[in-house]
Amino acid sequence: MKDLKHLIFFEDLLQEANNKLVRQAKDEGKFALGYTCYFMPEVLLDLPGCFSVRLRAPRCTSPDIATYYLSARVCHYARSLMERALEGGYNFLDAQLATETCTATCRFQEHLQQKGLDSVEDMRIIDNDKFFCSFIDVPFKNNENGYEHYKTQLRAHVLDELSAHFGVDTSDGALLKAVEQHNEVCRLINEIGDYRKLDNPTITGYEFSVIVLVSMCCPKELILPYLRETAEEMKSRKPDKKKDYRCKVVVAGSENDDPDFIKLIESCGALVVCDRYCYGAVEARQPIVIEEGQDVLDAIARHYLKTSNCPRFMPQDEMRVRKQRLAELCRDYKADGIIVTSNKFCEYWSYERVIDTVIMRRDYGIPVCSIEKEYINSASGQLRTRFQAFVESIEIKQIQEGS
Amino acid sequence: MKKSKFGKILGKLLGATLLANVVLFIVFFFDLDGKLLYYVVEPFLKKHYDNMERKDVLKDSGYDVFKYEKAPYDM
Amino acid sequence: MAKKFDIKALKKTDWKKVAKDFWYGKPHGERRIGDLYIEKTGLYKHREWRGVKDTMYYFYAVWLYNYAMMVADIMKFGGIVPFAKGVWRYRWVGQTYLPVIHWYDRGLQGLRGEALRASPWHYRGMTSSTIKQFMRFFTSDTRLNGGKQNEHYKTNIAHKETVWGGIFYPWDGELTNLPLEMIPYFVTCHVNSHTVQNYIDAVQSIGLPGDPCPMCQAEAGLFVLDDVPDYAPAFITCNEACDASVASTVLQDWLFDKPLYALPMPMQFDDPLVHKHVMKEIEGAWKFIEEQYGIPFSYEKLVNKLKKQNELMEFEWEKWEVAAKTNYYPINGVAQALYRIYYSQYGDWEVWHECDAKVRKVLEKCVSKKINTFPNTRHRVIAWSCAPLFFSDWPTWAYNCWGLNVVINMDSLMFDMKIRTDSYENTLADMATYHMWAPMRRMAVGGMQHIFELWECMEKFNCDMVAMYDQLQCKGMQGVHGLFEDEFRKRNINAFWMPHALPDSRTVTRAELRRMINDYMTTVMHEEPLDPSLLDFDDSMIW
Repeated sequence: MKDLKHLIFFEDLLQEANNKLVRQAKDEGKFALGYTCYFMPEVLLDLPGCFSVRLRAPRCTSPDIATYYLSARVCHYARSLMERALEGGYNFLDAQLATETCTATCRFQEHLQQKGLDSVEDMRIIDNDKFFCSFIDVPFKNNENGYEHYKTQLRAHVLDELSAHFGVDTSDGALLKAVEQHNEVCRLINEIGDYRKLDNPTITGYEFSVIVLVSMCCPKELILPYLRETAEEMKSRKPDKKKDYRCKVVVAGSENDDPDFIKLIESCGALVVCDRYCYGAVEARQPIVIEEGQDVLDAIARHYLKTSNCPRFMPQDEMRVRKQRLAELCRDYKADGIIVTSNKFCEYWSYERVIDTVIMRRDYGIPVCSIEKEYINSASGQLRTRFQAFVESIEIKQIQEGS
Repeated sequence: MKKSKFGKILGKLLGATLLANVVLFIVFFFDLDGKLLYYVVEPFLKKHYDNMERKDVLKDSGYDVFKYEKAPYDM
Repeated sequence: MAKKFDIKALKKTDWKKVAKDFWYGKPHGERRIGDLYIEKTGLYKHREWRGVKDTMYYFYAVWLYNYAMMVADIMKFGGIVPFAKGVWRYRWVGQTYLPVIHWYDRGLQGLRGEALRASPWHYRGMTSSTIKQFMRFFTSDTRLNGGKQNEHYKTNIAHKETVWGGIFYPWDGELTNLPLEMIPYFVTCHVNSHTVQNYIDAVQSIGLPGDPCPMCQAEAGLFVLDDVPDYAPAFITCNEACDASVASTVLQDWLFDKPLYALPMPMQFDDPLVHKHVMKEIEGAWKFIEEQYGIPFSYEKLVNKLKKQNELMEFEWEKWEVAAKTNYYPINGVAQALYRIYYSQYGDWEVWHECDAKVRKVLEKCVSKKINTFPNTRHRVIAWSCAPLFFSDWPTWAYNCWGLNVVINMDSLMFDMKIRTDSYENTLADMATYHMWAPMRRMAVGGMQHIFELWECMEKFNCDMVAMYDQLQCKGMQGVHGLFEDEFRKRNINAFWMPHALPDSRTVTRAELRRMINDYMTTVMHEEPLDPSLLDFDDSMIW
């Protein structure tokens, strides 16, 4: 396939958190607001006058000082973020909007927070006098009580904080504007992503993951023109005459913001057609629908709790139906199998992965490759072997089924 | 005569109690209860549990994703 | 080889001293408790001679009394038949609870005088509660009762062990709440650490990595090994204590397969805005119970039970007051820790009051007569973070070997509150707080300021040393590791780290833990052991 015009530019933007577009927005006087988890609605951080940056720590392979603080037995993602913060890589941030949604990232963000306590000295990791870190409590259930609670938390610990610290306009009008911008990003990403549903997709999983990531890590206003152009370009993009993949897979699992991981899978012959993981598009790029007369913040709160497939959710029906949704993604994207991943030390996905591995295969007949990975996969040889074996097993299955 | 019979019974009872106490104290002091459990009972039970036929839960436990609906108070 | 009879040594023997040691027991420095152990097993060549009075007390009032009471409890709660059936069917009961008296031995080793009279009552309370629970399992279990769902089954409600028993007070006398894991898993680790390894291995055998919290691994492993009784029609779960509790619930739901209500607790519990949310969730749980069992909620019953529970809390505060301000506290470190976490999590029950009444008598005697209960204390220690369950009796060893007196521990301080009973709103609000302050959670989530309450507690309990537990698979505690190191250094606090894997005695063994403490005491504190025979001994196969 012909190279995407902006792919190299996008790849470049992913080399560091404080990328070219972030610096440009900062120069324009906008406030950079960091976050890590889907449950911190990025749309609220994209209000006029500020922009969201979903934190990543690309190329962080040796988080030594972070390991002193968080120990070697905490997920590599949290440690890498901490290391990058200690290196000064996030000094551009004006605030961190935090969630206690998984222990490891919570502890990382708590190190950023200035608490002013006698019991433990603040580290002042972010060298920015304006910087603050505010936590929200995220419910474990998507019921009415959960929506109300979440909405209250978002109002008190995100909107009111932004307004108090930076004078950000948090009116319904401003929220609507942010939602519109968010929805345009979603529309474009979905438009691009839908080419993965074709029998012979015109976009690779790697390219798509790069595009999704830039939409999370760059100011929306500045990345939008590039996304529009890419969406336009995609309309006329032709697939290679000869398929260069052997099967299609859905990747589901814990945090992954490393496009090279997707590249690794694809280099083994499995085209990644769907990305249901933290930092993936399945959840994060669904447009927010506001019903007529509905309070905007209420719509936002409901959207984020309703769209999430996070294994953190505890209602019984929700725990179970997640498996069904995963199977449906396989069907919708015409995938031949699922690669379920969990980051080492991720409690949530360790269990979810095991259960998905059994249920998807046993009850839905979908081949599953179950792997544990690091944040940055430096030892790729073992993974490569696993993926190659998985691709071969799918091919054998297809031959046996006569397809 | 009666008194001596009663005395005998009392004596026997006292003797039996004393003997029981001595035996129990020996069991206690030399940790014979622990040794019995450690060397005999536990290995026997472990063998039993290890050889027990168990359900293969991964094969035999169904997972009906729609079995339980949201309750009205938990909507 | 038999020892050679040495007539010269016999002649040199100080018979007066021998007689004194026989009558009063040897003084602390001469006991050589380590010599009593049979290599590897932790069994005794013979149990400790504590002097005539204390040995007889231990023999009659602890050993014999508790064996007899165990039989009595089994008969009281269902009889020998269901007990035998349960032992035959479930590993966690047969392998674990038969050697329960050795659990007493390990925890009460070396105790004398009033400490020996008070601490065993805590063990008695826990034993009785454990028997009550597993007997209820067996009398209800459809697997042991020909597949029948009998009356016991129909009036039981299952819940995750971190769901506080108080949630079920409104149905006191009508429903029996039975935590799923407390008896099959949690208590087993303290009594016989071998059992739990089967469950950890089982869950890892289906692909779970080795790094998630081993407690949740074991809880899930019980299901994988098909070793959970089928004893109730419904189940309430919770997100406490951590991410792994949430994650393992998915597996439990699958394999238990019963109507389930999730009762999640907010993480940011300091935030006044979370209260309303959790109050509603508790009310949701109550509606779930009403719906599942058709028995209405009773506020009156709730209040009555809460009042009784508040009495337990009041006495706990009295105990803490004595522990903090005097040397007269007669409860040793392990009895304090286990009893407190057990009753505060399980909730009110008659046996706690009976045991507290016994302990109160001893406590009052100690205070009025100013009895120094742990006279060889060199350091008053506070134990912080979550403890090694397989070696929960380490404070007993530490006192005997080094004179380290573990006065208080973090888990004891968690549910530190009384619950108001003056109105429904206040009751519910306090119940919400109580539940959010659950074990391994009050200090571990909701902002790292809580875990650093250590300094405040250290001062309050007049401690000069910290035993810092380092649960290797607890992400929350690992995530503050460096800051603790910084603060220890900055504050010049004597602290030793105790790495461990909660129930799993294979990751860091008892011997390794002892060695770490030994090394700290010799190289940093430059102290000599009180009992050198306890420095290094092989108990690798101990229960």
